[in-house]
Amino acid sequence: MTATADAPMAAAAAPPRTARGTTLDRAFEILCFSAATLLLTALAGLVVSLVIGGWPALSKFGFGFFISAEWDPVNEVYGAAGAVAGTVISAALALLFALPLAFGIAIFLVELCPPILRRTIGTAVELLAGIPSIVYGMWGLFVFAPWFAQHIQIPLMASAPPGSLMEKLVAGIPNGAGIFTASVILAIMILPFIAATLRELLNTIPATVRESAYGLGSTTFEVITKVSLPYIRTGAIGAVMLGLGRALGETMAVTFVIGNAHGFPTSLFAPGSTIASTIANEFTEATHELHIAALISLGLVLFVLTFAVLALARMLIGRQQTL
Amino acid sequence: MNAQLDNPPETAILEIAPETVKLAIKDLNFFYSGKQALFDINVSFAANGVTALIGPSGCGKSTLLRVLNRMYGLYPGQKATGQVLLDGEDVLSPRVNVAALRARIGMVFQKPTPFPMSIYDNVAYGVRLYETLSKADMAIRVEDSLRRAALWDEVKDKLQQSGLGLSGGQQQRLCVARGIAVKPEVLLLDEPASALDPISTARLEETIAELKADYTIVIVTHNMGQAARLSDHTGFMYLGKLIEFGETEQLFTNPVTSRARDYITGRFG
Amino acid sequence: MSMANAAPRLSRRLGEGVFLAACWVATGIALVALTTILWSLLTKGVGGLDLNVFTKSTPAPGSEGGLLNAILGSLMMCTLAMIGASLVGFLAGTWLSEFARDSHYGKVVRFLNDVLLSAPSILVGLFVYEILVAPLKGFSGFAGAVALGLIAAPVITRTTEDVLRLQPTALREASVALGAPVWHTIFAVIWKSARSGMLTGALLAFARISGETAPLLFTALNNQFLSLNMTKPMANLPVVIANFALTAYDDWRRLAWTAALLITATVLVVTMLARTFLRGSARS
Repeated sequence: MTATADAPMAAAAAPPRTARGTTLDRAFEILCFSAATLLLTALAGLVVSLVIGGWPALSKFGFGFFISAEWDPVNEVYGAAGAVAGTVISAALALLFALPLAFGIAIFLVELCPPILRRTIGTAVELLAGIPSIVYGMWGLFVFAPWFAQHIQIPLMASAPPGSLMEKLVAGIPNGAGIFTASVILAIMILPFIAATLRELLNTIPATVRESAYGLGSTTFEVITKVSLPYIRTGAIGAVMLGLGRALGETMAVTFVIGNAHGFPTSLFAPGSTIASTIANEFTEATHELHIAALISLGLVLFVLTFAVLALARMLIGRQQTL
Repeated sequence: MNAQLDNPPETAILEIAPETVKLAIKDLNFFYSGKQALFDINVSFAANGVTALIGPSGCGKSTLLRVLNRMYGLYPGQKATGQVLLDGEDVLSPRVNVAALRARIGMVFQKPTPFPMSIYDNVAYGVRLYETLSKADMAIRVEDSLRRAALWDEVKDKLQQSGLGLSGGQQQRLCVARGIAVKPEVLLLDEPASALDPISTARLEETIAELKADYTIVIVTHNMGQAARLSDHTGFMYLGKLIEFGETEQLFTNPVTSRARDYITGRFG
Repeated sequence: MSMANAAPRLSRRLGEGVFLAACWVATGIALVALTTILWSLLTKGVGGLDLNVFTKSTPAPGSEGGLLNAILGSLMMCTLAMIGASLVGFLAGTWLSEFARDSHYGKVVRFLNDVLLSAPSILVGLFVYEILVAPLKGFSGFAGAVALGLIAAPVITRTTEDVLRLQPTALREASVALGAPVWHTIFAVIWKSARSGMLTGALLAFARISGETAPLLFTALNNQFLSLNMTKPMANLPVVIANFALTAYDDWRRLAWTAALLITATVLVVTMLARTFLRGSARS
């Protein structure tokens, strides 16, 4: 009984079975496994490198780093609160603008659009998602901001009654660059992502469900609000969170139009900064070790923020959405 | 004579003559994710004959088929105990090279599964894995396989076209051709006609009838007429157990067990 | 009479009208935004589009020049990034779909890949700065390519897994039943069957990284001169745009618009290509 391991069984009339490379199976699986593990390692490495790189600043300022809004590279005092506030406010405002529009577009494409236009308009919205961030930045700075300053900001500032809340909200340098403009640009950027996801979700609703609602004499508005939206609720919240995640981390477009001022933003139209814009602006020019560490710590804060939002989004959205 | 009327046995398994046995299943039990799907199967299938497995959905007939070529090994958590002897050698032994085993035991599935390549390459796919044939020899092998599968006349002028472009019935016969091109000894057919129209089914049945001279064929089917037309032996399964196994004619006209009788006379299933 | 009774009440009809109008307006706003952005790019970018753009490197202010160094740099870094990312992405996606399935480790990798997919790209830049630029004491085209690759790889992984999962189980079993080893089955049958979807994923990843600026700011940096040395700082279109757009020199700004037109056109063409490709393959 000297049966050789892994030997094919004796074949009668059949040709000899010398299997080619069955041992490669294991090697191939290990190769694929390594590639997957490489991605996991990359993410882990990213987190670790942010912690290590940011440590000098975190250990020096401690918890104060997160609550102080003072950012003064000359005197080497750094606090993240201003940039965090700018990030959160601009992203939240962007979401506020983008959300109704995205719902409108998704509903338009699914319920209202004439079939011949559906593909064209759908593609157009997709193209909006393809435009690079930096192009949004240029367009925002050179086209949108001047228009905005002239047609909206200046009239608003002129018409605001002195001493009113309105005056406080609209105060700022009338050049169009500021938190509000950044939010508008961000809104345009995340709009197609949210709209595309909502559209996909709306398309998953079985036709019979909608048709039976229409059959009862409901208007489109009633079908959408009473049947469709409740049906896709969880997924829709996920889509919105995904959009928020993108808005939080967006860099170049914001850097161009936000005005780049440190500290807490004082009004809607005042210049401000976000975490990403601060890093983009200062990182290559930072020479002191502490300045670099503070910027990397900011990056860590941004990672935690987006991770929390994205994790929540992925949990809610399941695996329905693709990219 | 009519003993089964008074006290029919729970199971009745015919033992076929030892010298004709190709596949012998001994004490086979099968589990997946903790659940037992097959219970103590003991049966032998004859060489160069057709054995049909029938029974209601979920009775384990497809599972039994997938144990025979160890297809279950693709999925973790599935486990078989006992023995499946192919010419006396245990298929379930961990020492067996599974890929080489599967080349000896061909399989055709419920739905046609042409590969995304030309008709010619579909048939040559399996051959190229194990044999290095000259171009001419390969062409002969492909033609021979397609002829045996009764597909040659329909595709001989478009061998380089994609196999995906054929009709469902042609695709299924292409899969048969692909399966026999590697010269297997056993052919497992898992409800091969379930996705086909009646005319394609009839053609496939003709093909199977012609193939049985050279191959040991095991066919799972829920179509009792098909089992009766094609097979020499038939096994009836129920809830993971082999209830009755015998000559096809005997099993269909005069089943011994009450379960088989109920099923065949249409009282359940 | 009965028809009039069955018709919705006035308030319902009014609400419906306002709602439908709002949906039209929302879509209109998006289309207007797209049109004005593309219009700005064309009007401000086409003017500078001459032969110099493709034959000369970025100039000093006031002198004649083009974008040759930036175009070549972007091409080199994107190509290198795509080679690495495709290798990792195709294999990792294959592992997730064919081997991991519902294992715990598979779920973790899948989730973290999704996180990496949506992580802010500037953080990828910081990461590569920390592991490649700071230790080697120098910005380099190679570091830029690694950063871009890290952004492309999760995209390719995700699309690869998605399209492989769509392949019928019977196809795998049919190949395995012929005695094919698993690796051969994946190579010769599954990948072949899924190739257009996998290629689409790669094209979309390419479209994404070709416009990325943030991860290049502190990895590839920029280079005023034509350089094909990947171990040295390397010019690239996005960073040239960022640097030139924010200056007061008119000719630099004009070049920035031209560069913006070039990358936007590239991205949009590649995106459209990927979409039609996918649609074509879905039909056959």
